[in-house]
Amino acid sequence: MIVKQQLEDEEKMMEMKKRKKTGIRRNLTQIGDTFTFELRKNMIPFIIMMIITALMFTLFLILQTLQEVQDIPLPEDPIKYFASYFQFIFGFLVVLTAAGFAGSIIAEDFQKQTGNLLFPKISKSRLFIGRIMARFLMNAVCILFYYILVSSITFIKYGEIPTAILLSLAWALYYTFALFSMVTFVSSIMRSTSASIIASIFLYLLIFTMIAQIMNFLAGGVEPWFLLSYYENIITSILNMPEPRYNLITFPIGLGGVREFYRWITPDVPTAFWGIFMYSTIFLILAFARYQRRQSKSEG
Amino acid sequence: MSQEYNNNHEILIKFVNLTKRFGDFIAVSNVNLEIKRGEIVGFLGPNGAGKSTTMKLMAQLLKPTEGEVWIRESRNGIGYENLVKLTNHNKDILLDNIGFLIESPAFYGNLSPRTILKYFGKLKGYPRKKLNSRIEKVLGMMGMEEWIDNKIKTFSKGMRQKIGIASAIIHDPDIIVLDEPQTGLDPKARKDVRDFIFDLKKMGKTIFLSSHLLYEIGEVADRIAIINNGEIIAFDTLDNLEAKSEKSIIQFEILAFQEEKVQSYIEELKKVIFPVTGIDVTAQWIKYNSDSRRFQVLFDGKPSNQFKILKELIYKGYEIIEFSVPKAGLLEDLFIELTKKNTIKMEE
Repeated sequence: MIVKQQLEDEEKMMEMKKRKKTGIRRNLTQIGDTFTFELRKNMIPFIIMMIITALMFTLFLILQTLQEVQDIPLPEDPIKYFASYFQFIFGFLVVLTAAGFAGSIIAEDFQKQTGNLLFPKISKSRLFIGRIMARFLMNAVCILFYYILVSSITFIKYGEIPTAILLSLAWALYYTFALFSMVTFVSSIMRSTSASIIASIFLYLLIFTMIAQIMNFLAGGVEPWFLLSYYENIITSILNMPEPRYNLITFPIGLGGVREFYRWITPDVPTAFWGIFMYSTIFLILAFARYQRRQSKSEG
Repeated sequence: MSQEYNNNHEILIKFVNLTKRFGDFIAVSNVNLEIKRGEIVGFLGPNGAGKSTTMKLMAQLLKPTEGEVWIRESRNGIGYENLVKLTNHNKDILLDNIGFLIESPAFYGNLSPRTILKYFGKLKGYPRKKLNSRIEKVLGMMGMEEWIDNKIKTFSKGMRQKIGIASAIIHDPDIIVLDEPQTGLDPKARKDVRDFIFDLKKMGKTIFLSSHLLYEIGEVADRIAIINNGEIIAFDTLDNLEAKSEKSIIQFEILAFQEEKVQSYIEELKKVIFPVTGIDVTAQWIKYNSDSRRFQVLFDGKPSNQFKILKELIYKGYEIIEFSVPKAGLLEDLFIELTKKNTIKMEE
């Protein structure tokens, strides 16, 4: 009996020793566990986003097909055909997927009070990193899926896939991360998931566009490097970088007067790299700082 | 921490002058508590008294403004080492041996208990190979094994609360902290949770349980800490607390009692019992509880008077089929008395 107890104690002791992971090992284990849990938890939103991505591609495909039916010839260059799938709607797809995956990333803990369940078991920093990794991966897969669909149709039409699209994909994912960070920040200050999704889309589609238009008019000479949405243009421009990177637009005002202003088409590569980097970093730092300080309704 | 405390291996948790302020508001003020191995400590107080804040300070969800929390370090699951001051650096190790259920947690409705508990078990480092059997065992203990793979959004509030408790114990901690685990539950679910707390005690777990449900705390707790306005105003066993108040209650049931005549019964019982309660005339009372169909009488808690009351009832021909001094019977009165004194003291 005593021997059996000793064996049980030894077994328990060995088990507990294995459990006592600390420091970096523990951080990595918990981040990894959060990563896999988040993938599983967000499987339904992921499937919905994949369907939306496919629908958006289908919409463009229909538009392209209608043009072909009306005898409007396809561009000779497959890159131009490829780039046509990224006009207008791609920015919306990026912000929609980013809002779909990051909109709840922080707000849900406070909206649903799930924080009381999680935080004694895991620190906010590990949870934050694990969640960002998992959800951005899902977001990135949606964007990749769109690229695969467009590449497939390009291949069907032209019998080749330009390798330059890989560069475009890299910029698209990098830009998506910046938008994902922005939505994460919005999620950290909003009370509910739906509010953070709506606010993010509103900010992107209306506020950024309005600022860009006003800047064009008032200070057309200034490149709008401070606008996150401006960096979206590098995704298609990288396939065929325009020179110069702006259009000079003139229009009549008053009695015989003419006003000129620049409409900036795209940032150059270094500006885009550092601009997106700064946006991503600042938004993530602000989001995490807010998350650390934020307490659930009942606290205090 | 003195050597005396380190040597006293019975103490697993110790709060030393624990204080938490939010601006000018003092949520927790100089709380000093010791929780011993294997006991259930009830943490009783009205809403806003500082119960949840104290528990969050213990879970490091909030940082104390002053004071410390000391937790005895587990020696690889077999025995204990020294009491160690809880800090941000050692919280992973120290809190591994504690399971927390803070307030009423919400769950991710589209997931099953198995998925969520597996995640929590992994976070706390429970051996992965044994996690599935552990989840089945814990949910089995709660009578929820059939629901293990169902989505939580289909669960009742009582079932969700059980999952909350399961999440606190999934990693098999020695110490379990339950914040208002029975709040908002129906009587059946409350009983289930109470029985489960007893089961945990039988397993040798140490339990720190908060509630404003006085009767529920009295039923399960070995010692009770009463908190009001952030201050601990009493901390003792229920018997000692009642002894200090020099009051207790007796409850009894009369065979073939006609409920519609309860008022006349009470008047007759007053004549029989009041002379032997040992209580001042102005403070005496007899009540009838229609749920339990039992009368309750306030007396001075002395066994001699308890016997006299029974003797008088039998002598007068009452057919008594149940006669007892219930544990926690007076807790409500005691609680009100103590919190009133504390509030007056604070106002002064």
